[in-house]
Amino acid sequence: MQLRRDLIVGAAITALAIAMIIATQGFPRIRAMPYGPDLFPRIIAGGLILSAIGIVIEGLRSLRAGAAEAGAPPAPRVTLGAFAFVAVAALVAGFALLLPLLGFHLAAALVLLCAVPIFGGSLLLAVFMAAVVPFALHYVFYSLMRVVLPWGVLTPYAW
Amino acid sequence: MDMFAILATVLSPKILGTIFLCTLYGSFVGAMPGLTATMAVALLVPFTWFMDPVQAAAAIVATTTTAIFAGDISGAILKIPGTPASAAYVEDSYRLSQSGKSRSTLFAALFASVCGGVIGVLILALATPLLANLSRSFSSDEVFWLATLGLSCAVLVGGPSVPRNFASLLIGLAIATIGIDVAVGHPRFTFGNLELYDGVSFIPAMIGMFALSELLRNAALGHQTKLVKLTVEPLGEALATATRRFGQLWKNVLRSASGGTVIGALPGAGADVAAWIAYAVSRRFSRNPEAYGKGHLEGIVDGGAANNAAVAGAWTPALVFGIPGDSVTAIAIGVLMMKGLTPGPDIFNSDATLVYTIFGAFLMANILMLFAGGLVVTLATQVLRVPRAILMPLILLLAMIGGFAITGSTLAIWIILALGLLASAMLWAKIPLAPAILGIVLGRIVEDNFMVSMMKARGDLTQFFARDTAAVLGALTLIIWALLLYRALRSFLDATTPHK
Repeated sequence: MQLRRDLIVGAAITALAIAMIIATQGFPRIRAMPYGPDLFPRIIAGGLILSAIGIVIEGLRSLRAGAAEAGAPPAPRVTLGAFAFVAVAALVAGFALLLPLLGFHLAAALVLLCAVPIFGGSLLLAVFMAAVVPFALHYVFYSLMRVVLPWGVLTPYAW
Repeated sequence: MDMFAILATVLSPKILGTIFLCTLYGSFVGAMPGLTATMAVALLVPFTWFMDPVQAAAAIVATTTTAIFAGDISGAILKIPGTPASAAYVEDSYRLSQSGKSRSTLFAALFASVCGGVIGVLILALATPLLANLSRSFSSDEVFWLATLGLSCAVLVGGPSVPRNFASLLIGLAIATIGIDVAVGHPRFTFGNLELYDGVSFIPAMIGMFALSELLRNAALGHQTKLVKLTVEPLGEALATATRRFGQLWKNVLRSASGGTVIGALPGAGADVAAWIAYAVSRRFSRNPEAYGKGHLEGIVDGGAANNAAVAGAWTPALVFGIPGDSVTAIAIGVLMMKGLTPGPDIFNSDATLVYTIFGAFLMANILMLFAGGLVVTLATQVLRVPRAILMPLILLLAMIGGFAITGSTLAIWIILALGLLASAMLWAKIPLAPAILGIVLGRIVEDNFMVSMMKARGDLTQFFARDTAAVLGALTLIIWALLLYRALRSFLDATTPHK
C-alpha cells in the first residue's frame, strides 16, 4: 500500500520537475551573463527528481519491512468523505467565480447554504446562517475594515 | 531606546485589548480539535492588515501562544490534541482527565505554558540583539548561506523522512519562483496572468495551505466528536492542586523551557518537535519513567513548557536573520514585510523600539494567557460543544474573504484553492508542510542573493567561501548536507541489503 502511494508521489514529483525543465527552455538569456532566469528553477527541478527517487526508495524499504502490512489493505472507495472533500473544493471555486457576478452577499449566502449541510448541519440552520452571516461579515469587513467587497447584481441597492 | 515609550505602548488600551481578544481567540481555536495554531494565525492575518505593526505582531504572538496551550484542552478531554504541539503527552493528560483530574491537569499545564513562554521571551530578548550585532556585516554571500542553512535545517528536522522534507522544501521554492525573476526581469510560470508577475501572494498561500487544507480534511473525516460525560474537580480545589504540583516541578519547567526555546529557534522545528523532545528528556531524567504514558503529570508540564517556549524561540531567527523558525513566524514575517518592515539585523538599528515593543507584547501575551487560558479550562466542556456545522462553514467563508481582502482580487481565492489542494495532496503523501512554507518565504531571498553572488564571482563557486563568516556558514551548511546524504544513503543501503 505504501509502495503504491510512494510510486504515485514519486511519479507526480518527477512530472512536476520535468514540466519545470521544459518550461524553462524558452527563458531568455543575456549574452554577458552565463546564468539566467532558468538556473534556479532547474536546480529545484533536479532536487525534486532526487527527492522523488528517495521517496520511491523509502517505499521499497517499507515493502521489505512491511510484512505486517501484508494483510490485504482495504481498497480505496469513493466515500461520503471524498464527496464532502470535492464539494468543499467546488464551493471555493464557485465562490471565486460568482463573487464578481452575484456580489458578496449572494455568493456568501450560497456558500453557507451548501457548506452547512456538507458539515452535517440541518437545512434550517443553513438558511438561518445564509440569512444572517453575510450581513455580519459585511459589517466587519466592509464597514469597519473598509474592504471593498463587490456588490455584483445588488449594486443598485448598495449602501 | 526609550523604555518608557515601550512600556506606554505595550500597556496602551489598544495593544492590551488586542492581546486579550487574541488570547481568547487563540484559546478557542487551539482548543477545537483539528484547528491548528497556524490556521488561527492564517485566519487572523487579513485583520492584521488594518493594524499598525506592533498591534499586528502582538495579535499574532497572543494568538499563537494561547492556541499552543489550548491544544492541551481537547487533548485532555477528547484525546484529540487541539494542535500537533500537544500530541506528545496526550495519553497522560487524557488518562488524568478520565480519573477526574482534568481541571488540575490543565491548570498545571497552563502554569507550565505561561512560565515556558515567559522564559522563552526573556531568552529571545537577550539573545536577539547579540546575534544581530554579529550579523550586521553580512553580504549577499552570508545571507545566501544563512538562508540555505535555515532551509537545510528544515529538511533535517522537518519530519522523519528526509526525501519528503526535501520534496516539501523544493515545492515551496518552486512556488517562490513564480513571478518576475531577479536576473533579467523575465516572468516565470505566470501563464500570462499579470497579477502573478509579483509572485504568489503570501497570505492567500498561507490561508490555502493551513486553513483550507484543514477544512478539506475535516470535511473528508466527516464526523462530530462525541463528548463523554466527565467528572471535574471544583475550581478552587483544582487550582490548589495544580499550584502545589507545579511548585514541585519548577526545575522541569526551567529545563524544558530553555531547551524548547533553542529547538524553536531551529528553522523547521516548531513547538511540536520541542514538546516531543522535552517529553523524552523528561522521562529520561524522571524518578518514575515507568509512569509516563499512563497518566503522569511530569511529562505534561515538561512538554507544555517546551512548546510555549518554542513559540518565542522561533522568533529569534525570524527577527535577526529574516529566517522563520516555524510556519507561524513565516506568516509573521510576511505580515511585517507587508507593513514595510524587513526583519533582519538592520531592524535593530532602524526599528529597535518596535522590536522591543514586540518583545513586551509577547511578555504581556503570556501573562494574559493565564486569564484567557484559565477561562477556557473552566468552560472546557462547553467550548468543545460548539457544533462543527456552524464553525467550519464560517471558517471557510472567513478564509476566502480574508484572502480577497488582502489582494482585492479573486485570484487570491484561486490561490487559496490551488494551495489548499496541493497541501491536501502533500498531507496524503505524508509530505510535511512546514519546509514548503519556509521555501515560499525564503525562496526569493535565496535566489536573489545566490544570483547576486554568482554575478559578483563570475560563476566561481569558491568565492562563496571567500569571506570568513560566509566560510563558516557555508561549512555548517555543507555539514548538514553531508548528514542528510548519510541518512539517505543509509536508507538506500537498508532497502537494497537482503535480509538475513
